[in-house]
Amino acid sequence: MANGVEKSLLVIVLDTNPVQKFVRQDTRILTQCLDSVIVFANAHLMQKSNNQLAVMACHSHSSTFLYPDEKPMEVRQIDGQYEGFMMVERTVRQNLQKLIHEIVTNKPLNTESLIGGALAMALCYIVRLEREKAAGEKIHSRILVVTGSNDSASQYMNYMNVFFTAQKLGVVIDVCSLDQELGLLQQGCDITGGNYLKIPQLAGLLQYLLWVFLPDPKVRSKLVLPPPVKVDYRAACFCHRELVDIGYVCSVCLSIFCKFSPICTTCHTVFKMPGPMPTKIKKKKKNPDIVH
Amino acid sequence: MADEDDGKEYRWETGYEKTWEAIKEDDDGLLEGAVADIIQRAKRKRQSERHGGARLGMMRHLYIVLDCSEAMSNQDLKPTRLRCSIKLLEDFIDEFFDQNPISQLGLIITRNKRAEKLSELAGNPKKHIKELKGLHLTALTGEPSIQNSLELALKSLKLLPSHASREILVLMGSLTTCDPGDINTTIEILKSEGVRCSVIGLAAELHICKRLATATGGDHGVVLDDKHFKEQLSIHVDPPAAATRLDSALVKMGFPHHALHSTTETPMTMCMCHVESSEEDSKLVTTGYLCPQCLSKHCELPVECRACGLTLVSAPHLARSYHHLFPVENYKEVTYEGSPSICYGCRRVLTQLDKKVYMCGKCQQGFCLDCEIFIHETLHTCPGCATNPDTFQISSEKISIN
Amino acid sequence: MSNTISGKNLLRPTGLQCKDLHEYLKTRPPETLNKLYHNPPICLAVFRELPEIARHYVMRLLFVEQPVPQAVIASWCSKLHTDEHQKVVKILNELNIWKEASIPGGLPGWILNSTLKKNLKIVLLGGGKPWTMSNQLETDNKPRDVAFLDTYALERWECVLHYMVGSQQQEGISADAVRILLHAGLMKRDEEDGSPVITQAGFQFLLLDTASQVWYFILQYLDTIEARGLDLVVCLTFLFQLNFSTLGKDYSTEGMSEGLLTFLQHLREFGLVYQRKRKAGRFYPTRLALNIATGQNKPLSSDLEKEGYIVVETNYRVYAYTNSNLQVALLGLFCEMLYRFPNLVVSILTRDSVRQALKSGITAEQIVGYLHQHAHPKMIALGPPTLPPTIVDQIKLWENERNRFIFSEGVLYSQFLSQTDFEVLRDHALTTQVLIWQSERKRTMVVTKAGHDDVKKFWKRYSKGSS
Repeated sequence: MANGVEKSLLVIVLDTNPVQKFVRQDTRILTQCLDSVIVFANAHLMQKSNNQLAVMACHSHSSTFLYPDEKPMEVRQIDGQYEGFMMVERTVRQNLQKLIHEIVTNKPLNTESLIGGALAMALCYIVRLEREKAAGEKIHSRILVVTGSNDSASQYMNYMNVFFTAQKLGVVIDVCSLDQELGLLQQGCDITGGNYLKIPQLAGLLQYLLWVFLPDPKVRSKLVLPPPVKVDYRAACFCHRELVDIGYVCSVCLSIFCKFSPICTTCHTVFKMPGPMPTKIKKKKKNPDIVH
Repeated sequence: MADEDDGKEYRWETGYEKTWEAIKEDDDGLLEGAVADIIQRAKRKRQSERHGGARLGMMRHLYIVLDCSEAMSNQDLKPTRLRCSIKLLEDFIDEFFDQNPISQLGLIITRNKRAEKLSELAGNPKKHIKELKGLHLTALTGEPSIQNSLELALKSLKLLPSHASREILVLMGSLTTCDPGDINTTIEILKSEGVRCSVIGLAAELHICKRLATATGGDHGVVLDDKHFKEQLSIHVDPPAAATRLDSALVKMGFPHHALHSTTETPMTMCMCHVESSEEDSKLVTTGYLCPQCLSKHCELPVECRACGLTLVSAPHLARSYHHLFPVENYKEVTYEGSPSICYGCRRVLTQLDKKVYMCGKCQQGFCLDCEIFIHETLHTCPGCATNPDTFQISSEKISIN
Repeated sequence: MSNTISGKNLLRPTGLQCKDLHEYLKTRPPETLNKLYHNPPICLAVFRELPEIARHYVMRLLFVEQPVPQAVIASWCSKLHTDEHQKVVKILNELNIWKEASIPGGLPGWILNSTLKKNLKIVLLGGGKPWTMSNQLETDNKPRDVAFLDTYALERWECVLHYMVGSQQQEGISADAVRILLHAGLMKRDEEDGSPVITQAGFQFLLLDTASQVWYFILQYLDTIEARGLDLVVCLTFLFQLNFSTLGKDYSTEGMSEGLLTFLQHLREFGLVYQRKRKAGRFYPTRLALNIATGQNKPLSSDLEKEGYIVVETNYRVYAYTNSNLQVALLGLFCEMLYRFPNLVVSILTRDSVRQALKSGITAEQIVGYLHQHAHPKMIALGPPTLPPTIVDQIKLWENERNRFIFSEGVLYSQFLSQTDFEVLRDHALTTQVLIWQSERKRTMVVTKAGHDDVKKFWKRYSKGSS
């Protein structure tokens, strides 16, 4: 196809929640992470002239796009850095600063970063670009989540909706965890065919990013990358949030329970007791009447 | 909704209409505004009526009855009715399992006054599609029998537990049916068993089909062309509001581990799904899913354990159906008056051409029309709510079931 | 007994060679390459032109200071794609991007060219000196927007093309530009009156997409640059700075050398930059200058072209929604014109019209490429394939029709004394697969040139043995 202009869009979702464990230990680390992510973002733009980029910040109370801005900033080179890269760096830093100023006056901080919502926004953005592209153009989109927070089951539904939508749209979700193993996001990587990496040490963040997440999904098969990890697909029961091997599922709302209870706590349906159903025998008797 | 689209496939079929009157110039004599308005209304129409929180039949059991009589060789659908149906059914099956992951589906064909079961109720799309593909070369002979097919479907549907929703979908190409007895009694039984029967006619509306559908609470439609055929089929992808007489129950299910654990220890074993078939894909493998109850191995999910009969699923399979139960609430349509300046979802700058914006009642964020449609049809999560600490959790209280 | 037949592919048109940046740089001496790598913009351009895997190799090595064992680098690429790895290694060597270095343990290793590494880091991370054209400027009181620049650039460029096709045009082009066209072989002096006329290559040039045309033209220009007393490295650097500039933004000419200002004036003439006045002190790069090096990959060229305007139907009709004389003239190269309306031209592809084009050196590939390039958005939306396959095939068949002769150089063996002699030699040639043609009746055979020595030796041995 001579006419196909192929673009590669990378959306980076950066968890900027200041309550993340590793940030609390040393606040400078967040700046280091930000530096690494910006360099990584520019490295993506550096690959091809038609690569596209979006950077989002994700907080416990909001998510917002850091780049691109609605109004592109006017920049002039001050050193040898490429103008485009400088603009990314400036825009991201400026918008992040704005965001951080907003936090202080806000409500008490929450440990939970709303990554699910940020991913939903990212998908809306991707769909919009997909809608606005010119005829014959192709956009390969992917999302990279860089986070040090925990993924809690409270966002389970949002996560799952996002993962399945991404799968449907062919958007790959990559996850780079800075602190702990993330079971839920790991499932997202597995569903959408992305890479998951919990980096062993923060110091080498940039190298890990460049190594594992810079290649486009298309090239990944050609480069040797860490093998996929085993994903735990067991379900957590709704009553105790524990992983179960065998559970009971409500036939109405599909809530999962670890043991039998007469009433579904999610949808308040009253269940019949399990066991052989007497009605069935009655029906079977009725059948011979209609045989001709 | 389906009736509204009926017969409006082509402009000339809608009768005399003063199309030019629909377009009005604005004050500056421009048409842009009016055209944008029309486009917007058309987009919006598709999803005007949405019901939240209705009780749905999650564990659907659907038999598809495909007419394979002589009438199916007719070439009014290209290349033939049968080929067209097979092609569309393949897509339908994929879509069906995508939307209803823990549901089951079976195929029945009818010809020569007889009904044959092509595939049993099962939850694996690949098998059904394989069977369907094999139909390409089948001989199309004789007349179909609706009654025989319904009885055959009923035989296995009857055995299902009472909490499962049971459905039959008939694709009817012939204008006649050859039945051994009184079909009215069969319809009565279907009705009392709560089996929902729908019919898609490929030729013309038949009285008996219409009766079958209305009596059992199903849909009946006649296709105009292949495009309309596809639409008619896609109606059956979404779960129907379940018949009220369905019992609810807690179903025991297993969530198997992926057997990758100890890479050195695991012996090569055969999976239960392929142990009986002597086909090419029955190989000894180390990977697979182990039933937590009897430890028999299966190569894919969802599946019913061959050994102990436990339904094996993975958590995301269940989660895929959740959006039917927790749909995003409809947004309020507000005339656009300069705020907000950008759509909260896609960051598009809103202009005067966007006549309307859509506000989420919970998080008070504004969205453009395209995002509104995307959120409600595909994403099922409101980005505004999901990024707000007060609203991100889908609370169980607000779902009103029953 | 043997005579050499010399056959040259006289009928085969010589394809217009449009080198990409990689091929261009490959032919430069290593010293020039190293000089070029001192400039961040060139490093970035070279980097982007590398194959995808090579780019990842460079990225991975960018922050590594010691040489890395070759075996380690080879293990980065999956076993199934070793051939690609080999290719990448070759390219990186050719362009002098990395060089061999031994590692303390004695293993062979590779280390990135330090100049390139330093400057790539500057591009990515900052540091170093700002590029020549990015001096501070007061805001332009009459800023030019993107749409204006696009029309301007296209107008200027089409001026050159118009001149080539010789269509009536109010504005001529400078003698300098004509000289470049002549140098590039796109035009030649007419033998009678000395006025420039278009050549075979010129026609092929016209059918390229605009981005490739600009790149080709610039390459030719660069060939003559040293004769003009300009420094190649400085000009190339400037060119790539333009390449990475932002459309719709003004840049300063302050601090530019005299030579560079001359160069700028040349670029201005071809529409690569816009300047209100010669001494305005500022200039705007246009889309022609952007992404100049990516001529072959043409990422953004579709933005540059005006909307596609050609509709091709399966009945060989070609509708062109245009009123540009140039576009009509180009279409006329291989189509037969039927009607002309104010904004529409109807033409038809016939065997004769296409053969006419083939005769003037245009290839079927180029015709199809042109139609594809300018396909109407409606056609693109329907595709793929954008063009009706029947038409594409037919054009190619028409071309093949002309290539019924296959020329292969060979050596003729004739005047054998006996049938057996002939058969023995023929069979030998047959088994060693060097036989091109033979006739038993005439006792004549032709073998390839490469096989000639072997057959000759065999014959000598054979005739000695038999006599």
